Amino acid sequence: MSPAREVDGHRYDVIVVGAGPAGTLVAKRLGDQGWRVLVLEAGTRTLDTWPGHLDAMNTFYSSLIKVPNSPYRANTAAPSPNVLDTVPGKDGGYRAVGYLVQNGALPYGTDYVRADGGTFLHWLGLTPRMLPEDFKVRTDYGYGRDWPLGYDDLQPYYCEAEREIGVAGDAAEQAEAIGLPFPEGYVFPMHEIPSSYVDRVMARELNGKSVTDPVAGRQVPLRVVNTPHGRNSTPNPDYDHGRGYRPVGAAGLPNYGERCVGNASCTPICPVQAKYNPLKTQARWSPKVTLVDRAVVSRVLVGENGRVTGVEYQAYDDPAAPVATTHTVEARIVVLAAHAIENARLLLASEAANSSDQVGRNLMDHPVMLTWGLMPGQVGPFRGPGSTSAFENFRKGDSRKKHAPWRLVIANWGWTWTAGSPGSDVAAKLGIPASATDPRGDAVYGQRLREELGHDIGRQIAFQFELEQDAESRNQVTLDPKYRDGLGNCRPVLTYDLSDHVKEGMRAATDVSHQIFGLLGADERTAYSPDTPSYFRYRDEPFTFFGAGHGAGTHVMGDNARTSVVDQWQRSWDHANLYLVGCGSMPSMGTANPSLTMAALALRSVDQIHRDLMDLHRPLVVRPVPLGGDTHPTEVRP
Amino acid sequence: MTTGVPLTASVLADAATPDLPPPAPPAEDVDRFVALSVPLTGFDTFELYGTGMAECYLRATVEQLGEQAYRQFQGALAAVGLDPAQLTDPVDRDIARAVTHLWYLGIWPPLSADVHAELRRQMANTAFTVAPEAYVQGLVWQTFHGHPQGAKAPGFGTWAVPPPGEPELPPSAAPSGGPGHQPGGAA
Repeated sequence: MSPAREVDGHRYDVIVVGAGPAGTLVAKRLGDQGWRVLVLEAGTRTLDTWPGHLDAMNTFYSSLIKVPNSPYRANTAAPSPNVLDTVPGKDGGYRAVGYLVQNGALPYGTDYVRADGGTFLHWLGLTPRMLPEDFKVRTDYGYGRDWPLGYDDLQPYYCEAEREIGVAGDAAEQAEAIGLPFPEGYVFPMHEIPSSYVDRVMARELNGKSVTDPVAGRQVPLRVVNTPHGRNSTPNPDYDHGRGYRPVGAAGLPNYGERCVGNASCTPICPVQAKYNPLKTQARWSPKVTLVDRAVVSRVLVGENGRVTGVEYQAYDDPAAPVATTHTVEARIVVLAAHAIENARLLLASEAANSSDQVGRNLMDHPVMLTWGLMPGQVGPFRGPGSTSAFENFRKGDSRKKHAPWRLVIANWGWTWTAGSPGSDVAAKLGIPASATDPRGDAVYGQRLREELGHDIGRQIAFQFELEQDAESRNQVTLDPKYRDGLGNCRPVLTYDLSDHVKEGMRAATDVSHQIFGLLGADERTAYSPDTPSYFRYRDEPFTFFGAGHGAGTHVMGDNARTSVVDQWQRSWDHANLYLVGCGSMPSMGTANPSLTMAALALRSVDQIHRDLMDLHRPLVVRPVPLGGDTHPTEVRP
Repeated sequence: MTTGVPLTASVLADAATPDLPPPAPPAEDVDRFVALSVPLTGFDTFELYGTGMAECYLRATVEQLGEQAYRQFQGALAAVGLDPAQLTDPVDRDIARAVTHLWYLGIWPPLSADVHAELRRQMANTAFTVAPEAYVQGLVWQTFHGHPQGAKAPGFGTWAVPPPGEPELPPSAAPSGGPGHQPGGAA
């Protein structure tokens, strides 16, 4: 029987909904402070054990198309979206065939994982910080939304998040090349992950040169900069004022995974767990934290005084045959950390926290535009982490007034994302088309097949232009009672599009990409097919893009209750004891992969949750009751 | 009629060993399969046996095609001096593609719709990975001196090592005045 039924009716200090990266960190800190925490996870926790992890490895090996969710088993009680869920439409455009219902102009191609560990099971493991200028894009550049806090407010929490995740990187280079402020003498817990041979070829050919941004009309210098990773490397003895750092190995197997060994499969799964995942943090949870899985929270319960009293959840046993029983559990403070889209879905289903009408709106991602080609010589693709370096100079500056900025990421895995290499290369050489009914081509065999594949695949390079998407209220998650999952919960309905600001960015990026392939002497093979679900034309040029897995914006943070869902502590304006934690709070994402910032925000919220709980535990102060009863209802102490 | 043996006995015996592998094909059949795979793949006998997959692939191939079509293919390939480019029959040509695809990726591909119909196959004409380790043993990774993603990890920092024939390169040619590089970096 599901352990979720055993906590029915219990009362905790804090309920955390979702055992992903944010929820796991929140539970860790609060448990360490002595609070009784219940973590409710909608999915299963089969990956907690080493045999469960090995099962995921085999599922990954066997999957035909190795997408981020390939290793993780389907669950009809708590379904996850898959990047393969958007397919070409019959007459152009796209169709959504999975968990997410979609009706927007363009497809939302991002997925997530509903299981213990959350989407950090398959994250790539890159931990760049946002830039100071990313926090006020509305004021400075005229698009998107500003944050109610700035880089300096996050600085100490960035440092803490870098400890919790275990970041490997070169802080001096980050400061010097990107202009990121760090505390005096700061180093990351571990030395940088070595730059790949692909990066080194790029550096040799491009460092010191520049390209023209045709839309903004400026010269941009090129420089290959190593990226910080949430991945075990060589510990830096200078860390923490000389106290050093001990890498955290795999969950479930001692003395394993304490350094990356180059499996080159970070997404979808790190075989040795050298990449950070929340299961490592859960292994160090205090006994005050209770995790129950297979508990799908279906409603946040709000009392008459506006305060949240707890949650209602559905406990199920078999993920393949969802039959659930409904229960409730109570707490002084409820934290939703279920993913940007799931948090919004849950709030909408509960009709909570939405006096601003912003719940579900401002849905964002980093649209990823891919370009690819063949280098003149061998570059050693498909080795090491998915990316180890990027060109960082396109992230900042006044060109943001003209178009969306981007991080120009150097891909280490050849055309795996752009073309499904190396499988597609083999099929092409053998004359095997995508469809069984298409005519077969001539095949190449033997030594010639072996040599030609090696010659071509070994020269593959690709760039990922990861663009900032501005928050727009029209991009949103809604619910429609027509569309439900296996337990009868409403599925998210997404309406999604890209702004002209983003499309101008893609236009500029295309031109920059052509220039870079030219400087490299590479044979550019980029081709955008109308058969791609995300295909569109803008100013007579074709484009396609992919989701980055960076869902955000759906319970946006702001400085007032009328226009935002949460305050700077990720606390609901409408319900003073409800926290909405995760990328959903972010008003803008800049061009940084958002995981580190999400972790920093979560740790910052913990400080406030702790203060709130301390306030709730103070002895009641007896005051005369005002006659009109005009105290704010949510300020009443329990 | 009764044998005196409880009916459940054999069922229980089977249930106790659900993962018992199917009987190995005769060694000479495996030898012949590997021999015809050499000209298809461009990998030599030792390398093909070294994958540990020869038996599994032979079994999958026969299962997918049927004994008769496989024997026919074997004969046809022998008749053209083990040069797959000389095959003329569309069925044989498609089988050659499929077996090569299997060795390179561990995946049995869909056959052409016509060939599928002509063989009167009972199973769906869809691609599948014949075993988790088949992915790991795919030959394609060796063609460019790589390793299968997610397996046979070559070790920390090896991704900085030059591919054969290419020069060593520094971590990054930072502009003058850039910080020096920390230890624990490249292999």
